[in-house]
Amino acid sequence: MSATSPALLAARAADAAAASAVKASQAAGALEQARERYSELVARHQRRAARIAYHYLRDSAEADEAGQDAFVKAYQHLASFREELPFDVWFTRILINGCLDRIKARTRRERWLLPMSGPRRSGAHDGAPDERDMTDRVAAGGPSPEQALLGRERRRQIADALAKLPERQRSVFVLSHVEGRTSREVSALTGLNESTVRVHLFRAIRKLRALLTSDAVAADTGEMKGKRRVTS
Amino acid sequence: MSLLERLGRGHLGDHDFARLWTSGATHPHLDRCDGCRARYDAFDAWLLGVGDELRAAADEAFPADRLAVQHAQIARRLETLERPARVILFPKAARAVISGHSHVRRWVTVAAAASLIAGFGLGQVMPLHTVVRQQSTAVAPNFTAPEAATRAEALTTPAAADSDEDLLSDDFASPRVRNLSALDDMTPHARDYVIRAK
Repeated sequence: MSATSPALLAARAADAAAASAVKASQAAGALEQARERYSELVARHQRRAARIAYHYLRDSAEADEAGQDAFVKAYQHLASFREELPFDVWFTRILINGCLDRIKARTRRERWLLPMSGPRRSGAHDGAPDERDMTDRVAAGGPSPEQALLGRERRRQIADALAKLPERQRSVFVLSHVEGRTSREVSALTGLNESTVRVHLFRAIRKLRALLTSDAVAADTGEMKGKRRVTS
Repeated sequence: MSLLERLGRGHLGDHDFARLWTSGATHPHLDRCDGCRARYDAFDAWLLGVGDELRAAADEAFPADRLAVQHAQIARRLETLERPARVILFPKAARAVISGHSHVRRWVTVAAAASLIAGFGLGQVMPLHTVVRQQSTAVAPNFTAPEAATRAEALTTPAAADSDEDLLSDDFASPRVRNLSALDDMTPHARDYVIRAK
């Protein structure tokens, strides 16, 4: 797990300055100026927010909306932001709460709806871009179709394994491993105890390892069986 | 050092690697056993690979152009926050008919109340009902019992209408039914007025 690097500290200082400027502008009624300054913060945290929301919700459209909502909400409640807490931690907390609310709403909705017939998207990290721009990639000298296919398959396996984790383990894993947060930061973000965060992370890694290696073994076995059938 | 390790069979597994990786600690066995060190390195690489794959999957779902669109959308939403929602009045004419302007309605109410009070006051000041009663008593004929008896006698023998003059006479117009004579007596006749005028 990564420690707090000087680059991160510098970024946080910049965030704090921008957040203070936005707050001051809002208080003075210079709303256009406030929006301009806030736009910097949005640009700085947008990709990270998209990643977190995407791994929480496993649907790009919903993740997009959740990200927008979180930024708007943070702007509206910036007056309540305390500078001693890093802006990204405060903002991520808003984002995660929004994502959890959406998951709850979705669960409620799905309880009353009949499952659609045919292949469900299963919130399965809708990887349409791979299929969409395959020709572009080949033309641009990117990875070959075979490599792209293998990469896509591997990503699907990882996403499926991640989806099988309990919610808390998944949150902790995404925040600490994908977003590179320390245990203390994850603790501040999730409201869990620091030692509990470590336990969840440990369990998440162990389970992922088991799921992915068993998948790999199953795939290998299937491949071997297929070869045997072909040869016999 | 555990007993198993002392016996030389204490190689580390995925469980230990996960624990070491999570806590950031080191294990003395890793320094001694090249096999376990290599496996731990592979485990570390695998875990980093998983993180990279997850990041790549998210970045693929959110390419730069999509993030730009999202940024613009956020800016638009922030701008809308500052403008209060515009309330569109629902049919203006219908509203005027239903409720009217407040001052017009007030004037109408005041005028109605004033006319009611004025009417009541006038009614109290001018004794209209006594005037009406006096007029009605002055007009009504006053019959005596002998007169009524004479008339009743006359009515019992109706004359035949031989000419137009006879048709206009009271004898002809009076009822031929005896039961109606009393009612006829109560009814004022033109003849009475003529006699009175003479």
